[in-house]
Amino acid sequence: MSENNTLLSIRNLRKVYQTRDGELEALGSVSFDVNEREFVSIVGPSGCGKTTLLRIIAGLLPKSDGEIIVNQSNFDPTREVGFVFQKALLLHWRRVLDNVLLPIEILKLDRKKYIDRAYELLKLVGLDGFEKRYPNELSGGMQQRVSIARALIHDPKLILMDEPFGALDAITREKMNLELLRIWSEAQKTILFITHEINEAVFLSDRVIVLSARPSKMVGSYDIDLERPRTLQQKATAEFGEYTVNIYQKLEVV
Amino acid sequence: MVVVILLVAWQILVDALKIKKYILPSPKLILDSFFDPRMAAKNKWWRHIFATAGGVLGSFALTLFAGVAIAIFLTWSKTANRLIMPILVLFNSIPKIALAPLFLLWLGYGVFPNIMIAFTVAFFPVVINAATGMQAVDDDLLDLVRYLNASQLQIFTKIRIPNSLPYLFAGIKTSATMCVVGVLVGEFIASKRGLGYLLRDAQAFIDMPTMFACLVVLAIMGISFFGLISLAERLIMPWRFAAVESNVQR
Repeated sequence: MSENNTLLSIRNLRKVYQTRDGELEALGSVSFDVNEREFVSIVGPSGCGKTTLLRIIAGLLPKSDGEIIVNQSNFDPTREVGFVFQKALLLHWRRVLDNVLLPIEILKLDRKKYIDRAYELLKLVGLDGFEKRYPNELSGGMQQRVSIARALIHDPKLILMDEPFGALDAITREKMNLELLRIWSEAQKTILFITHEINEAVFLSDRVIVLSARPSKMVGSYDIDLERPRTLQQKATAEFGEYTVNIYQKLEVV
Repeated sequence: MVVVILLVAWQILVDALKIKKYILPSPKLILDSFFDPRMAAKNKWWRHIFATAGGVLGSFALTLFAGVAIAIFLTWSKTANRLIMPILVLFNSIPKIALAPLFLLWLGYGVFPNIMIAFTVAFFPVVINAATGMQAVDDDLLDLVRYLNASQLQIFTKIRIPNSLPYLFAGIKTSATMCVVGVLVGEFIASKRGLGYLLRDAQAFIDMPTMFACLVVLAIMGISFFGLISLAERLIMPWRFAAVESNVQR
């Protein structure tokens, strides 16, 4: 896995929370690589520290131990990471376009230069014509699309996604998965995607990393060699079933 | 329409029962205290209206400005919050109208002490509501800008302050009424101008129609003031009203 286009190497990453009842090991030594333009999913049971892992990579939490090595000299973590949260987290006092441009303002970049890009991204996520709407006027799926456009606006190399479609209904979720794959292939980004839906992980990813329950260890890593572009029909194939069953077995659900 | 019917009924009742005008004046007599040339000249309406309106607007501006500034300060620094909040709460438990005589001794007669009295009475709801609104921000929303290394100033201008606006307006609406109360109290105690002074002056002469006329003016002022605030609310927070419309669309 040590190809020369590795973007991110996670080495023995640990996180220990200090609680009233002593130490709580949320993340027990996790190591893996993420290659450029790869779609990597992390699955695991609830409370296994998936979100903790993502938040450490984004710099929102300090790590307790281990290393995050960035194999790119020009990689500035605050500029090169886009984060899509579980909730859409749109600022309801800003119009859709201004929500998309929020990272530009925070990073103190020239807003004017990014307006055209914001329009393009909104087109990319299928929200052409909604630029001047307020978030409250959009459905949950549309709001999450805005937040994807927002994560892409400053052109980061790495997109971190923390169960972004967890709050959506099953049908919208399928649609959003297809949309995400289209966006990913068009925008040519590296995506690190967290979910507890094994089907979703297999369907989206080049590789699925499986974490065990707390204290989480990496218990498996599966290269998903399904043909791209992915289609919903693939979900009915024996190959797809094999991948998911393998992962289920790894998690000791079956 | 309802108001007109009530006024007509009032007029008819007062005439029919021959109620004395120093008990309950008829609407016509109240109108006379505005428009009858002799009465209008005596009452000098504009002079008093301007004094009261000036006091109310002045104290309101001060309340808004100082209230928001204190709220930002309290939210910015946890230490400030811990030190100042108890003092504010303690201060708020005093009936602040009772401080009015003190202010008059300190600051003398005129519009300025009235503004200070009204400010003391009215600033608390603005501070509390604005501070609550600035602090009632979802942690996730802060993470959204923190991962981009947002500065404290950016967190305030982009997130906390806009988030506090609905709360602030709730506080403003309470404070606006209290400003009117504060200014009137100041005018009652010691002033040569203002509707509060005119009310007391008319009371001395048992001039009931003028007293009622003062109430009418105060009511009109109050309604216009409230209307202006609601208008400002719509202009400053268009998203709140867009949402209402879209609920129908969706």
